[in-house]
Amino acid sequence: MYAWLYYHLPGPRGLRPVVAALLVLALVALLMFVVFPAVESVLPGGKVTLSN
Amino acid sequence: MPTARDSPDPPLSADAAVASGAPGVALPVASGGDVDPPTVAVPAWTVAEGAAATEVAATEVAATEVAAGPRRGRSLAGRLARGLGELLMTAGILVALFLTYQLWVTDLFAERTQDHLHQQLVEAWHKPPPAPAPAGDRARPVIPPVELGDGVAILRVPRFGSDYAPVVVEGVAVADLRRGPGHMPGTAMPGQVGNFVVSGHRTTYGKPFNRIDELKTGDPLVVEVRDRYYTYRVTGSEVVTPNRIDVADPVPKRPGVTPTKSLITLTTCHPKFSASHRLIVYGELVDTTAKSAGLPAALKGE
Repeated sequence: MYAWLYYHLPGPRGLRPVVAALLVLALVALLMFVVFPAVESVLPGGKVTLSN
Repeated sequence: MPTARDSPDPPLSADAAVASGAPGVALPVASGGDVDPPTVAVPAWTVAEGAAATEVAATEVAATEVAAGPRRGRSLAGRLARGLGELLMTAGILVALFLTYQLWVTDLFAERTQDHLHQQLVEAWHKPPPAPAPAGDRARPVIPPVELGDGVAILRVPRFGSDYAPVVVEGVAVADLRRGPGHMPGTAMPGQVGNFVVSGHRTTYGKPFNRIDELKTGDPLVVEVRDRYYTYRVTGSEVVTPNRIDVADPVPKRPGVTPTKSLITLTTCHPKFSASHRLIVYGELVDTTAKSAGLPAALKGE
């Protein structure tokens, strides 16, 4: 899967590592700023208030 | 016919022969044993000349490597196994990233927000109050109503060190609590008669209430507002189930009773990283100090 993705990256061969690194960074940013904040509200760890 | 004895360089030529891509090395594996074993030294050129048939030094290992080369990852089972492996690795990395986020990144978010809130609150306190409270009337709110998520007061707990000064925000919604400990709307404001209820994260988001299990009876909790410090003393703590909203009553656990004292109640989750219970710390107002009179006694020792 990753090999396939890597070989289908756009751009010249020499730039592929750079493009791949940028993609990974973008993915991590998406997780940290969008996905994880949304997901963690559903998880139990952060509940500190009282409710019925 | 050249043999190993002709070879000028004795060491590791079996591998060298394979590595140099000499043809015919992989073939004669099975015929091994009919030549004297010490003939390990075979330079590539001897093999290429056809002597390889007898030079069995190219062992099964080398032969397997050569044979496995072109077939690697081609069969369906191999591809499936590889795909599954990559999926599992991806899942592992996701979990590791999420833990990094929870234990580290949320703290960074909260720190930035808290710095910002501190600045805002101190700036607001330096401006003249919009509607001055009547002097000497402790029963009326000193602070005007605030927007949800805005800073209300600064909490200081000498037991947690002089650096500990989280801004308490208004509101206990998920978004409010990510900014800092939250004052439960509708409960008393700092210093007011009634119960000043504050909920905060035990873990993640700056974990402001991480250590409130260490508080002991008599410990001071100082709440700083615009013009004064309210010093509460811890009167006790307990662990309750999350449905015990009566600990937030004006007189905790005595619904309907009219309060006569100014109390503080801190709530957080318990145990750490769990939602099964709540840790509650109770306190009672013992001292009010105007800011013009300097720091309250509880903070002077630092």
